[in-house]
This record gives sequence, C-alpha cells and structure tokens, in this order.
Amino acid sequence: MKDKTFISILAIIMVIGIGVTAGLMIHGYNLWKEISIVEMIANWG
Amino acid sequence: MDKKKLAKQLGVIVLVIALFAGLDTGIYQLFIKRVISHHSPGMQKMSVEVGNYVPFTGSENVFSAEGVSKLEGDIPVIDGAAALLPVYAGFVESIYPESSVIYNGEDYDAASAMHYTNTRGAYKDIVDGNADIIICAQPSDEQLAYAAEKGVELELVPIGSDAFVFIVNDSNPVDNITLDQIRGIYSGEITNWKELGGKNIQIAAMRRNKNSGSQTALEKIMGDIPIKPDYTTLFGSPIGFSFRYYVTGMLGEGGVKILTINGIAPTPETIADGSYPVAGNIYAVYRKGETNENVYKAIEFMKSPEGQKIVEQSGYIPLS
Repeated sequence: MKDKTFISILAIIMVIGIGVTAGLMIHGYNLWKEISIVEMIANWG
Repeated sequence: MDKKKLAKQLGVIVLVIALFAGLDTGIYQLFIKRVISHHSPGMQKMSVEVGNYVPFTGSENVFSAEGVSKLEGDIPVIDGAAALLPVYAGFVESIYPESSVIYNGEDYDAASAMHYTNTRGAYKDIVDGNADIIICAQPSDEQLAYAAEKGVELELVPIGSDAFVFIVNDSNPVDNITLDQIRGIYSGEITNWKELGGKNIQIAAMRRNKNSGSQTALEKIMGDIPIKPDYTTLFGSPIGFSFRYYVTGMLGEGGVKILTINGIAPTPETIADGSYPVAGNIYAVYRKGETNENVYKAIEFMKSPEGQKIVEQSGYIPLS
C-alpha cells in the first residue's frame, strides 16, 4: 500500500472514530441531563 | 519487503479501529447504558413531568379539595420543589382562581400565580420577591446565607413530611445501612461494599447538585464532615439518595432497593412516629412580615384537613 493511501485510510478511520466517539458522548450527556439518580441506579446492576 | 510494510500498515489500521471500538464500548458500558431512560407509564405518573401536573386541566395526577373558598384579590405567587409539584398543584387547583394560572404548554407564564422553578430557583425567588409561598424541603446553609445577605427572614411552616432514603441497585446484597456508615461512604472513609457485608466491589457514591433538596438533606446528615468529590462514580456499584416519593415510583419497575437505616424501613408509620431516622418536613415557606393576607389563608388551607388530604393523596405523609 502506498504511503499516501495508508495515510488517507488512517485519516478516514480517525475522522469516523472521533465522530462516533463525540456523538456517543453528546448523546450520553443529553440523556444524563434528563435522567433521575433513581433510574440511573436501577440501570446500574 | 512490501509484504512486511503492508502487514505493518494493516496492523496499524486494525489497532486504530480496535482502540476506537474499545473506547466507544467503554463509553457505552460505563456511561450511556446507565443513563438510558426506561420510564414506563407507571413511572412517568410518579415522576414529575410538569405537563402532568397542571391545575385546572382535569389531570388525574392533581388532587384537589371540592367546595373550598377561592382566594380573592392579591393572589400569592406559589412555587416549589420538583418532587412537591403534585402537592402544590393540588393546593392551587383547590383555592386559586382558575384565571390566575397561565400555562403555555411547556412552562408557566411569568404572569401566572403558579410557577415551577425547582428547589434552587424557588428559594432564590422567595428571597428576591418573585414568589410569595414556596413548597420545599429545608433550605441549605447557602440558601439561608443568601436570604440573610438580602435582609430577608424566611418562615418555614411544616405541612407534611417524607423520608430521605438511600437506594442501591436491587442486585446489591446489602439491605441495611447505619447513619455512621452513610457518613463514612460520603466522606470517603468507606470505599468498598465488603465493609458493609456486601460484595468486594468499590462503592460509587452518587450525589446531586448543590442546593438541590436531596443534596441539602445529605449535607444535614453529614454535619461538619466534608463530602468527598465524586470522581470515581463511574466505577463500582452505586449508592444514591432521594425522597421516598420519588423512589416508590420505581419500586414496581424493579431495579432499585431502598435500604433500611439502623434496621428501620421508611414506611408511613415509621416516618409519622419519627422512628425512621432521616424523615424530613415539607415546608410552606414565606417571607417574615408578609402583608398579603392571602399568603396566610393559603397556608392555613394547607394545614387544614382538606389540605392535608391533598398531601396524603399526592404520596406524602400528612401532619400527625
């Protein structure tokens, strides 16, 4: 694999990975704002 | 040579993918899985959704007294804690004129005689003069200091009570806790459930925002003992706290368990007779020297048999 191709593939994976991670964290934060401490403990087996 | 290079490149790609997959799985397992709401209709009825507790809408969640005289003239603005919204919505529906309540579908209008800003907002509003009566648990030291700074003295009239409860996941084998153990957990001295006869697993001691009603109740239990920061609450098995009314809505759903304290369960009987050690009053709070006579009339109603019936129907313990 050419270096340029390798870097491009890596960059795409990084962008997707960071995007998914950031999306998960934003989604989790929005859920966290809405949930009660009681329900959080119920989920936490 | 090319094959070796290709193998290295593929190895790096696989490693990066694996790192992201591990990170995202960790985020899901440690965080997102715990904050997904599983509210059933039963729980929603017990939990506080503002729209379910709007007076004069025929809501089955609002209990009001029939045939009671309505207030006339200067209608006091009432506000309060989230957990107590069912109680004061019932008071408002009983004695406030319908025209005094303005709800826009999402929140109460600024001109409405009923507001809903939760404990922190309510204590600020009563001091600032934006509310005339608030229905809350006891104020925090910070809230009392704010009142003193503004030259306002607050009168707290008990209108009922409820228990402050400690809860764990129902898979936790520990059923009972002592007040000293609670202080040990929240001060950071007790860190593992095995010290309480449970599994060998770290204690995740959850807490709430400062000046919320339940966080203030915890601070009263702790006294002068500092509460440790909760950097570690993503790990281990949790303990948390709330008021009984909030939790009883979850019990039917499963998932949580109320701990007995010093061997005593928080039942209406043990709360009323004072044997449950951390029961607390619900107060109608007003400014000392209040000149609006409707404030006193409203509080008299809250203490009357009709008002106390609303307290009980809303899930709280009436005055004995």
